[in-house]
Amino acid sequence: MALTITCPVCGKRNGYEFRYGGEDKGPRPDEAGLTPQSWCDYVHMNNCVAGVQKEWWFHKDGCGSWFTIHRNTTTNLQVATPEADR
Amino acid sequence: MFGKYKPMWGEKTQLKSSYDAVIIGGGLHSLATAYYLAKEHGITDVAIIEKNYIGFGGAGRNTAIVRANQRTQYNVPLYKEALDLWPVLTKELDYNLMFNNCGNLNLMHSEAAMKAARMTICTAQYHGVESHLIDAKEAKELVPALNISEDITFPIHGAMFHPPGGIVRHDAVVWGLARGASKYGVEIHQQTEATAINTRNGKVVSVETDRGTINTSKVLISAGGYSASLINKMMGIRLPVSVLTIQAMVTQPLKPLLNHVVSSGAYHCYANQTLKGEIATGAHMDQWPNYTTQTTAHYIKHQAEALSEFLPCLRGVRFMRIWGGLADMTPDMAPIMDGNDQVEGFFFNCGWGYFGFKSCSAAGKHMAEFMANGEAPNILKPFNLKRYEEHKLMGETAALVTYTPDN
Repeated sequence: MALTITCPVCGKRNGYEFRYGGEDKGPRPDEAGLTPQSWCDYVHMNNCVAGVQKEWWFHKDGCGSWFTIHRNTTTNLQVATPEADR
Repeated sequence: MFGKYKPMWGEKTQLKSSYDAVIIGGGLHSLATAYYLAKEHGITDVAIIEKNYIGFGGAGRNTAIVRANQRTQYNVPLYKEALDLWPVLTKELDYNLMFNNCGNLNLMHSEAAMKAARMTICTAQYHGVESHLIDAKEAKELVPALNISEDITFPIHGAMFHPPGGIVRHDAVVWGLARGASKYGVEIHQQTEATAINTRNGKVVSVETDRGTINTSKVLISAGGYSASLINKMMGIRLPVSVLTIQAMVTQPLKPLLNHVVSSGAYHCYANQTLKGEIATGAHMDQWPNYTTQTTAHYIKHQAEALSEFLPCLRGVRFMRIWGGLADMTPDMAPIMDGNDQVEGFFFNCGWGYFGFKSCSAAGKHMAEFMANGEAPNILKPFNLKRYEEHKLMGETAALVTYTPDN
């Protein structure tokens, strides 16, 4: 599976240097008032978008940074970060 | 070649404006559900809505392997029932499904794996599924082509031998079930895309398709790897699923050399020899979720390396074809079958990962019962979606080898 990912530190690199870190689900929910449902939603649930999604990556064979990118899951191509997320 | 041909199932019918039940997806789980809805529950006014053609997805892309040696007490009986149904369905459908119960051999490459196999075998035997632990020498007697020497990356310590498993011609199951279901009056609408499910007062009222609206009170989404995305889009229900492309390939045809299904967790490789003589082999999944079903040189190299180590006689054999399909993985490697809960009349069946083929008959049978009665039969109850928030994840990950993008 071919994929090129732009690391904020190292630039464009081969996707196999990275580890997928899951869909972006926003900040970890607050411990106060946490319910099993909201915790489960944060830990397990995914949107499984067939299209562009915001997701986490870890540059495991590189600089070691964690960052988000936008990728189209139907073409496996990284797309530009939307204006609102910059 | 260009003469008249008779379709194997049903005449082309117009999409009606209303059905008793609508099933989204034209794969094996859908076809089996429709078949049993009509046969066992007398619900024949059923439409199957398929965006491409029946058997487009996992139903036509799997490696045709069937077995019942799962890990937990909830899963084993379900897979056993599915395995026992192949000869029954062959007769019932009057269609040769080419079930070849040649047996499965799961290779173990460490003492820890042997220990895990012992536990899996105990569970299997407790549920009446034949499964034995054998040592490397016995494995070599069953499959003389195996390399049991010490000088490979993962030397073979032994194997879990599961004689009742084997291979079934997957396309035959698609065609047989389609013909069987349509004989009872089920309509199969290919090239039709379902776009939305409409609800009123918490009940399903209709399904929108690109060929018009269908009024119905019962709808099932059972679309294999595409289910999670559809369920989220149409119903706003998020699922603990990751969808990954998984690849398989076949070699050029060879003389008979492999009369069992051979699989190895450590090598991430499983292989069987088809009746045409090709070695069909499946690989690991992609490391990140995607819907591409793209194939890559990465896995051809991986398969070639793995096969030429534990089946060295395959060195130099050429791969002829490679293809990819989707696997919808859950964190506990067990499926999710639920419904009539969040929204009345809405059912879903997904999360089978790469176990969807071998389980289709039993899953379809019980989903049909679920849809007909509105209440989940006991065998399906543990597979509800709530188990994730109740921390009742199933222990299927302990079975053989875990593939999820999260580890």
